[in-house]
Amino acid sequence: MNRRIFLALTTALAALPHFALAQDRLTVVTSFSVLNDMVKQVGGDRIDVATLVDADEDAHMYQPTPADARSLLDADVVVVNGLAFEGWIDRLIEASGFAGSVIVAADGIKALDMPETSGHEGHDHGAFDPHAWQSLANARTYVVNIEKGLSASDPDGAEVYAANAAAYLAQIDQAETELQDLLAEVPQDRRTVVTSHDAFGYLGDAYGLTFLAPQGLSTESEASAADVATLITQIRAEDIVAVFLENVTDSRLVEQIAAETGAQVGGTLYSDALSGPDGPAATYLEMMRHNVATLAATLKP
Amino acid sequence: MESIVLHDLTLGYDRHPAVHHLNATIAAGSLTAVVGPNGAGKSTLLKGIMGTLPPLTGRIVRDRARIAYLPQQAEIDSSFPIAVHELVAMGLWARIGPFGRVTATLRDLIDSALAAVGLTGFEQRSIAALSGGQMQRVLFARLLLQDAQVILLDEPFTAIDARTAADLLAIVRRWHGEGRTVVAVLHDMETVRAQFPETMIVARELIAHGPTDLTLTAANLLRARQMCESFDDTSPVCHAPVKRAAA
Amino acid sequence: MIDLLITPFTDFAFMRRALLGCIAISIGATPIGVFLMLRRMSLTGDAMAHAILPGAAVGFLVSGLSLGAMTIGGLIAGMAVALLSGFVTRVTALKEDASMAAFYLISLAAGVLIVSMRGSSVDLLHVLFGTVLALNDDALTLLCAITTITWFALAVLFRPLVLECADPQFLRSVSRLSAVTHFAFLALVVMNLVAGFQALGTLMSVGLMILPAAAARFWVQGVGPLIGVAIVVAILSSITGLLLSYHYALPSGPAIILVAGMFYAASLILGRQGSLLTRYLPRPHLHS
Repeated sequence: MNRRIFLALTTALAALPHFALAQDRLTVVTSFSVLNDMVKQVGGDRIDVATLVDADEDAHMYQPTPADARSLLDADVVVVNGLAFEGWIDRLIEASGFAGSVIVAADGIKALDMPETSGHEGHDHGAFDPHAWQSLANARTYVVNIEKGLSASDPDGAEVYAANAAAYLAQIDQAETELQDLLAEVPQDRRTVVTSHDAFGYLGDAYGLTFLAPQGLSTESEASAADVATLITQIRAEDIVAVFLENVTDSRLVEQIAAETGAQVGGTLYSDALSGPDGPAATYLEMMRHNVATLAATLKP
Repeated sequence: MESIVLHDLTLGYDRHPAVHHLNATIAAGSLTAVVGPNGAGKSTLLKGIMGTLPPLTGRIVRDRARIAYLPQQAEIDSSFPIAVHELVAMGLWARIGPFGRVTATLRDLIDSALAAVGLTGFEQRSIAALSGGQMQRVLFARLLLQDAQVILLDEPFTAIDARTAADLLAIVRRWHGEGRTVVAVLHDMETVRAQFPETMIVARELIAHGPTDLTLTAANLLRARQMCESFDDTSPVCHAPVKRAAA
Repeated sequence: MIDLLITPFTDFAFMRRALLGCIAISIGATPIGVFLMLRRMSLTGDAMAHAILPGAAVGFLVSGLSLGAMTIGGLIAGMAVALLSGFVTRVTALKEDASMAAFYLISLAAGVLIVSMRGSSVDLLHVLFGTVLALNDDALTLLCAITTITWFALAVLFRPLVLECADPQFLRSVSRLSAVTHFAFLALVVMNLVAGFQALGTLMSVGLMILPAAAARFWVQGVGPLIGVAIVVAILSSITGLLLSYHYALPSGPAIILVAGMFYAASLILGRQGSLLTRYLPRPHLHS
């Protein structure tokens, strides 16, 4: 008799946490800082979000830690970029035993091919340029994918997510107009730019800029003398005015190229990661604004 | 020139004495053989005199600067790419130090040292190409150049042929003739009786020390053999009073 | 022909600088490599690449991604590991390989710890390690300075160093310079490695130190000739590698090291002494 009561009580007690948890926020883990920001915008208060690759860190070179595996295990949803940007994520998900759902942010966008330059060493990458977030049009798709994914995992919050997403999309539209205006003043013959690695294909495609780089799509690859020589020749031939550094790569090679060609070092662009909270690119939209403003400022005659 | 004085000397490894409370005086200019069973502490004694092994208790009085030492097992990297004359020239360190030039005079000295050990013509040969006996001769040539007052030889004739041994013994006699102190650890009793005026029998402790024909007796050798060869981990701590030598 | 060999260097400043950097490291680091090889310490380079992490990490903590701070930090950490392991080798029962392995592992673990505590996972070493195509003035100056210091030190310490390698027991018995020589040598190793890492990356730095020395072993005897041949091999590898990188779009560091590797392989097979050729196809023996 006592035993049965005891068993019943225990079962009831064991079930309680399940109810408690159901009221908790959705736990989301994103792969890198840009996604982190977007997911925050769409998820709002209903989610707890953390990121694996932080601001100013390099996702190409990232080595996951056991702590990452733990946080994945505790998560309900994982948001990744896709397009083989995170070469390490599949193994991490498998190894961690993560059983939740995965949102692929770049699902459905029209992907650009990897550029010709020195892309052949892209070790873990697929055939496409993964930096799709560099175009605001693609960012809209990202937001929609994120919203759909969050709603699927947390149907109760679907309305909130939809509202947040709509508001964010409006901000994106606003930014789009600003950026177009900024770049309107840059003449056609000054629209070629040099950066450290091929991260800005989508940005160039969206705004009619050409980006050249000595290092291919991944920061792990090493430049060859031929690449650097070709770039220098091109800079000289086409009178390219400016080179830009990045926040996640070693700037010395680009600085050398600038020194040899007389091109100006135009500033730092944010390619694969946001800046820290005090930096000029603490959120996705701030990053886009900063990048385009920096480009425009240097390229304007 | 000083004698070598050993005051109540204990030398050992890991608290186990290899040489235990040894008192002796090796007279300047003497030619002494050190004999004893295996593990008797003979090599240890030479290392102590040389200064490479600090005493556990007791002390040694000698002029450290003028001692040359031939170890039992030379730690020479024979694959190291130097020639015979370069190895021999190391003996000139005391004279020219790290920067001095090897002048023509010194080169002649090197040549005569090589001649003395019977290795004329070997100057350019790589040390990797030397036989055991030839290497020993080269090391003797180096000792010659060191021009030391005290020469310690640890089993110099083990594992070399009779002719080489005879040649090197001639050099030992020459040293003795020049008034240098020579102490050699030896196993071959015939050589000891024939060539060495003084003998020290060591079996961890000093068994006997004096002129060879008086010291190298059957009785003494028997006592030496009775020394226990292995270390006893259960030995009590040795509290023998440290004998202060007369000032 | 001129187009093939000379034009790349006349046309581009970065090629000239790369060549100058390579020559500097060929002259400075290669003699050190010869001694490392003779002392059976050839794997020290790799160990050192890991050992400098805590120093770079502390430099990073103090000054952010400042190359100067991280290089100085790396130098200090590298020196500490080298000197501590040298001390342990001389004074305890442990030999050089084990004592260096022990310290570099401790150092690496400490470095990873420091970086993780900061909460960020910047691949510090990746930032710290440079590439031969991006040698700015600072890096070139550093390389040339280290080369000069190395040659000066080697000139002064040559005889004790040879003795220390060939017969350390004897050196200890006749001189008190043994410890000084040993530690000075280790310091030179660390300096050349860290400067090399910062300017050229690990692969090139360690590669040019060891491969030419290994190749030279099959052709000459004697420390002087070994150094001479090694320097020549290093410079030839650098020029060829840079030209291959230029004409065939190969990454520069690996190209140079692979050429050096081919020199080594060729020497291993066809060298004048100790090679496969002399072993399996010996020349007829001379009269007795």
